[in-house]
Amino acid sequence: MNTAEREARLLEIGSRVVGTSPADETEIVFAEGRSLLTRFSRNAIHQNVGTEDVWACVRVVAGKRVGVATAGSLAPEALNGARDEALAMARASDPVDDWPGLPPPRPAENIAAYDEATAESTADQRADVAGQIIRAAKARKAEAAGAVDIEESTLAVVSSRGVAVAHSHTRAQAHTVMTCGDGSGYAEGLSTHLAEVNARAIGRRAAAKAVAGRNPKPIEPGRYDVVLEPVAVGEWLEMLSYIAFSGKNFEEGRSPLSGKLGEKITGEEVTIFDSAVSPRTIPMRFDFEGMPKERLTLIARGVAKAVATGHYRARRLGKRRSSGSALPASTSYECLPLHLCMKGGTSSAEQLVRGMKRGLLITRFHYTNILDPLKTALTGMTRDGTFLVENGEVVGPVRNLRYTENVLEAFGRIDGLSRRLTRVRGPMVVPALRVREVQFTGTTEF
Amino acid sequence: MKALLDRACDLMRRAGCSYGDIRVREDRKETISVQNGKPEHIAVDRTAGFGIRVIVDGAWGFFGTYRLEESALEPAVRQAVAIARASARFQREPIVLSPVAATEGFYETPHQVNPFDVPLEEKLALLVAATSAMRGANVKLRQAFASAYLMHQHFASTEGSRLSQRIVQCGGGIAATAIAGGDMQVRSYPNSFRGNFGTAGWEYVRAMNLEGEAPRVADEAEALLTAPPCPAGRRTIVLDGGQLALQVHESCGHPIELDRVLGMELSYAGDSFLTIDKLGTFRYGSPQVNIAADATAPTGLGTFGWDDEGVPAQRTPIVEAGRFVGYLSSRETAPAVGRTSSGAMRASGWDRIPLIRMTNVNLLPGEAGTLDALLDDTGDGLFLATNKSWSIDNKRLNFQFGTEMCREIKGGRLGQIYRNATYTGITPEFWASCDAVCSQAAWSLWGTPNCGKGEPSQTARVGHGVAPARFRNVQVGVRA
Repeated sequence: MNTAEREARLLEIGSRVVGTSPADETEIVFAEGRSLLTRFSRNAIHQNVGTEDVWACVRVVAGKRVGVATAGSLAPEALNGARDEALAMARASDPVDDWPGLPPPRPAENIAAYDEATAESTADQRADVAGQIIRAAKARKAEAAGAVDIEESTLAVVSSRGVAVAHSHTRAQAHTVMTCGDGSGYAEGLSTHLAEVNARAIGRRAAAKAVAGRNPKPIEPGRYDVVLEPVAVGEWLEMLSYIAFSGKNFEEGRSPLSGKLGEKITGEEVTIFDSAVSPRTIPMRFDFEGMPKERLTLIARGVAKAVATGHYRARRLGKRRSSGSALPASTSYECLPLHLCMKGGTSSAEQLVRGMKRGLLITRFHYTNILDPLKTALTGMTRDGTFLVENGEVVGPVRNLRYTENVLEAFGRIDGLSRRLTRVRGPMVVPALRVREVQFTGTTEF
Repeated sequence: MKALLDRACDLMRRAGCSYGDIRVREDRKETISVQNGKPEHIAVDRTAGFGIRVIVDGAWGFFGTYRLEESALEPAVRQAVAIARASARFQREPIVLSPVAATEGFYETPHQVNPFDVPLEEKLALLVAATSAMRGANVKLRQAFASAYLMHQHFASTEGSRLSQRIVQCGGGIAATAIAGGDMQVRSYPNSFRGNFGTAGWEYVRAMNLEGEAPRVADEAEALLTAPPCPAGRRTIVLDGGQLALQVHESCGHPIELDRVLGMELSYAGDSFLTIDKLGTFRYGSPQVNIAADATAPTGLGTFGWDDEGVPAQRTPIVEAGRFVGYLSSRETAPAVGRTSSGAMRASGWDRIPLIRMTNVNLLPGEAGTLDALLDDTGDGLFLATNKSWSIDNKRLNFQFGTEMCREIKGGRLGQIYRNATYTGITPEFWASCDAVCSQAAWSLWGTPNCGKGEPSQTARVGHGVAPARFRNVQVGVRA
């Protein structure tokens, strides 16, 4: 079955469930597809999996009472069962006094995000990609761990308000942690097309870092200027999104943007937006209510501009329509931007390092967690390539450090952004950053 | 079902698999959130399917499908075999599994009240009453949660095992969020991040007395807003059960996973400082520290009949009088340390392969008596309760935890409240500083329902039994 047929079939099944629903309002969201992942460690494939799956999420409204149930099947009895279960839950629940109804349809532009060759790639092709990374490791007497991950999926939304949209996409990604003695390096790549994932380059990049990272020297915690490579920037941005950009958190007073729209909250260098329709990302046409994805500016030149909303939250916040950021109704998170982008600057990545008198070049972070959401205080460790820079030159690897830092404050100390933007896992599209005086509060033994 | 399982095993043998297993699994989950007296989110999730795991040419392959029908078996086996053959192109050594006796049997979680039989109205009434009992001018969010999980699985292997399990899990909790003056403080009961969980029925949630605890929880959230920040310095600390459970989880539970030790998780969550050369000799903690992984502990969230390789649930010593003596392992990894599997392989669903997961990794009770007795014996220090944040490096050495509540211990009594407390350390140094663990009467099981691991990602529900314990000379706050 090709994607057009699958999209049509899901829309037809959805229409049937919605059309026969006894509820006042009914919405059904489908995700159907395959995910395939080849995992390697110590230069060998050790886990290798494939799954075909379908997921249906039914939201029904009785009066202003809402119920949600999911099913893992397209069989009529399973879907009707989920619908009936959702309805029973709605009837047992309390009304949502300001329920605005399900959103009416809005046109969503077509975006090409599906690659047949990626969707049909075989386990042997994934092994070939892993093999290229492993060969790059062996060439530098290093060991590679990592994964090659393929996903092909169709998302469809049908509702009693007339929404009926479907979209198919593919995603291919590869990443590796490479070790060489006590050195460690990381690299990744992702695209809608497997052919655009350059495994050899990923392998070489990680291997070079692992080799350069041998014999890391201990370094005292304290404040250091840093150059954050794009993967590290992505990790901060992802955490910032989680605590700051949800319209639900915003309204509940739990976001650092709460009550601060229009105010300067960070440095002028910082412009962050959500853009699921950009060809730079892994595109998505619409959200889980079927509303079109549009560019949403969250922070512009340091000023808080907007938060992400679904239909219900948008109406509560006095907006006529949502930002197209609804999550599946089965999760309580409600709404988040899923395709963050950060505007770049004018430097090359090399210039960012050359402009640093003494500081750290950081490849990525590990296990970042939130200490204080209103202050955007995070803690985490550096990982897989942390280097000391003196007088604009990388002088050698250092042991990993723990940072404890308020991200919006740190973004206020950015003094350089790379011109080049990199797509990192998330997906996000971000530059490298140079930030002054980031606070490091501990060290470890490697 | 038997015919389907037999057919799958037959297909795997005919396809040349030296080993194969099938798990047919159905999961049901219900989550309820109430906020400020109103239902905020109610959802039921169902999923069902089967996963085929094979060894061909000495390498692993897996394929899972939601198509629960006999006609889906042959294509799934064919896919799993093709994946295994691709794995074999880049393998170090052929997989060798430690032996396990072929078994037939059925296990069901002991429970009194099936949570899915309890009317939604009753559950909502319990949660609404709890949020309504929270007061406070600045308590903006009064939340109550309940979740229930039902897993029904049939396992069959080409070695002849035929096992069926029905696992019932349940839990809930409350949280008060106070917001004022640009600060936000959360206080939870019985644990943070949606409460506490166990393998049990709805009676487990009823026994929590959420409504009774709600006023105190709200008062403490309000009080935290005006409390001074926790001063930094090296202090004696006493950890309550909820925080200590997560300390065990992060600094013991994960580093003893033998797949991590062997580098199999390196590309995601990392590896482990507890390398194989340390087994049997390494001083993990003080003589007061005794840890065991026990998949048989009643009501433990990591309790089951067999793991997802058909290995019986068991109790494995991990740390004895401070000495590191054991790992959580699988049939594939156990031979690396000359042992058989400790029965820790679990998958999060039909669509995932089993990985080594924590069972109930328990800090065994000590001899320090009750919490009050321990505080009395401590004299001066800090009492830290209920986790707020956690972070640990990729070898599980440098950690930093934050807690919702911090109370000064002065003259053996709890005094001044502090907000935003954190503590940090290096795992073996920290556990070496443990000089007292409370006794059996203060010991209880805590459930961690959100343990992430693996690629593609999996979330496991695991348990930790602990009693409050004391640690000396610990860095509290950050050295800015």
